[in-house]
Amino acid sequence: MAGMSSKRLQKELTKIQGTLPPGITLVSAPDLREWQMDIAILDNPIYPPSDHYRLRFQFSQSYPIEAPEVVFMAIPSNPERKIPLHPHIYSNGIICLDLLDSQGWSPVHNVESICISIQSMLAGNTKAEREFDTWLVWVVMAN
Amino acid sequence: MSRSPISRSPRESQEPTFTRSRSHRRPVPTPPPETPRRSSLSAEMRGMRRLEQRRNMEESHYLNCKARAQNYNPPIDLRLVDYVSPYDSNLMCPICRCPFVDPVVLTECDHCFCRDCIRQCWNTNSTYNPLGPRGNCPTCRTPAKLGSRSATSKILLNIVDDLVVKCPKSDDGCKAEVRRCEVQDHVNIYCGYALVECLGENCELPVRRKDAAQGCLHYGVSCLLCRKELQKWKLEIHWRSECPDRRVHCETCKSTVFARDLDEHSKQTCPAISIPCPGKAFGCTSRSRKGQAEIHAKSCTFAKLAPIFQKQQDRLDEQEVAQREMSRKLQVLESGFGAMRDILNPPKEDTTPDRRSAGSTRPSLSPRDMQANGTTSSFIPNAQSNFDFSDPTAYADLMVSPHQPRPSASTASRQSDPTPDVPGPRLTDLPEPFSFDSDLASPAGFPPPTTDGGPYASPLHHLLSMHESLRDEMSRISTVLSELDGRHSMQSLNENLRTREEISYMGAQVAGLQRQVHWLTSAQLQRQQGRSGTPGASSSSAMADVGAGAGVEAAVSAVSTAATALTGAARVANVGASGSGNGRDGAPMRRRASEEGRTKL
Ligand SMILES: [Zn+2]
Ligand SMILES: [Zn+2]
Ligand SMILES: [Zn+2]
Ligand SMILES: [Zn+2]
Ligand SMILES: [Zn+2]
Ligand SMILES: [Zn+2]
Ligand SMILES: [Zn+2]
Repeated sequence: MAGMSSKRLQKELTKIQGTLPPGITLVSAPDLREWQMDIAILDNPIYPPSDHYRLRFQFSQSYPIEAPEVVFMAIPSNPERKIPLHPHIYSNGIICLDLLDSQGWSPVHNVESICISIQSMLAGNTKAEREFDTWLVWVVMAN
Repeated sequence: MSRSPISRSPRESQEPTFTRSRSHRRPVPTPPPETPRRSSLSAEMRGMRRLEQRRNMEESHYLNCKARAQNYNPPIDLRLVDYVSPYDSNLMCPICRCPFVDPVVLTECDHCFCRDCIRQCWNTNSTYNPLGPRGNCPTCRTPAKLGSRSATSKILLNIVDDLVVKCPKSDDGCKAEVRRCEVQDHVNIYCGYALVECLGENCELPVRRKDAAQGCLHYGVSCLLCRKELQKWKLEIHWRSECPDRRVHCETCKSTVFARDLDEHSKQTCPAISIPCPGKAFGCTSRSRKGQAEIHAKSCTFAKLAPIFQKQQDRLDEQEVAQREMSRKLQVLESGFGAMRDILNPPKEDTTPDRRSAGSTRPSLSPRDMQANGTTSSFIPNAQSNFDFSDPTAYADLMVSPHQPRPSASTASRQSDPTPDVPGPRLTDLPEPFSFDSDLASPAGFPPPTTDGGPYASPLHHLLSMHESLRDEMSRISTVLSELDGRHSMQSLNENLRTREEISYMGAQVAGLQRQVHWLTSAQLQRQQGRSGTPGASSSSAMADVGAGAGVEAAVSAVSTAATALTGAARVANVGASGSGNGRDGAPMRRRASEEGRTKL
């Protein structure tokens, strides 16, 4: 199982180091279990195309049977990376996307297809706000 | 079983040579000694039995060896081997991204996967399904089930089996490249780097096949380079991939380095890697190789100024930290000053409503809170000075502090309290740093400018206290309201009961009337029948009959009007019932009332 997961990650990495769709770049993959990707949204005025957003992928030993853990990362500077405003993205970077939970995940997905899904989720967005955060605040206040 | 011709050869005379011929290969336990009683059994029978024993023993030994060999070389997962040449992406399983291994085509949607991949995906090991493995197609989510092997096209199988792969031991040095369907045979039979059992006497440890001929290599040696103790047969593997003192080749600078240094070398010391100019943070974008970096640094203005810039930057950072500290202090002082000013001349419009509400709502608080104020006022200034109201987190703490009087929470948290009905927080419940706002949260009865230091440390506290008293008033009003509501519903229920009694009484009366009418009509009918029997009927009596009939009709109509009146009354009672008790029990009561009306009529 672990062997298959590494083998597949190795193959994906080799492919990703070749060509990628526009707006998606590999930043680093230090140990095969954690990758960082940058994505840019090219056709939505909410997200200027010059802004890049950092995604962190963490793969378990049972990838691709299980979904990887994908979050947006906030980096204060050099280079600055913000967490995009979207109703389904928390301010701590957690993404609510059916593709990434155990029900919606399918092993035929891969890093590239996840990036494209997140990219299109942002590209189709019309509300530059977070829906969950006010809710979160209330939960914290109530406890 | 190469020994079968020998063992088939006749009887006891052959026996000793046979044992000897085996003994130089393997230590085999000697067969049980001959039993002396040869009277009952013939010699042939005995020979047969011994033969049988021998064969059984040999067979089990052979199976043991084979099992051990398989342990040394477990079955190869073909999804993990490396392929020599690039393969058609149409042959690739979308789950493992290898050419299909034991491909299975889902008949429901024609998508193809490796059998192991789809099994793992459907998790067939943990969930048993009597109808066979089934799940959704990972590609298109069509519900599907796992088909048999024969359903897969032979052409596809041949194509993927013909792909050439590297030996799985290629990391150890095997250079063999074989067809995929033969790779298991290669490892089990031919590969020099696969493990077999040592041929040495009394030794069952594994050794690489190519070394097996050198005799037993299972003795301790130490590596000449790193002094590590290990067995001789492992030495080659150690030198090849483990020894930290082996020489490795750096791909970028084409030099050889020690393996233990490779990590550092490739990151820092390799002359071929490029490093940024020291002035990178200040604008120089130049990167150069390690060897030329110093030459660049000599000519680059940014690099020369870099230490000065760095020093400036450090000083700036220091200043900024100091300034932040100062502004924080200033804020604290300002808020303290504001609080003092509020105490000296309190704003009028704040105090009046508070005093009024206090007079009406909180009559029972005085002695205890007086005491609280007396004790807490002594540390107000201290708490004030290190409590920064401009800090939003401090504010949030204050807002969600556990003694915030929320009705449900407060009853839950004060179960240990002997007098839980006293509203407002009490001094004993409160953690020490917060107790200074306990007197502020129960300000009623105390006009702000009091002599004992003033209960309002800040406008915020004043607002909080007002909020508190409003909350109490709200809860009081709600209890009064519910009480009133209960009383009202009781009253209407009583009234309703009375109305129903009256209705039933009227119903009884109407029933009596009905009986009378019935009696009257039947009497009349009898009389008519009696008279119709006689042929000559006088007109006067007929007239009287008509009059009597009219009287009966009037009586019937009177009864029916009484009945309508009764239903009207019932409806009125219904309205009363539904009006009472906020419609809680209106519906059943209405039904009962109308039923009563119907049965009575
Ligand atoms: Zn597969
Ligand atoms: Zn399908
Ligand atoms: Zn080999
Ligand atoms: Zn040995
Ligand atoms: Zn060594
Ligand atoms: Zn080098
Ligand atoms: Zn420079």
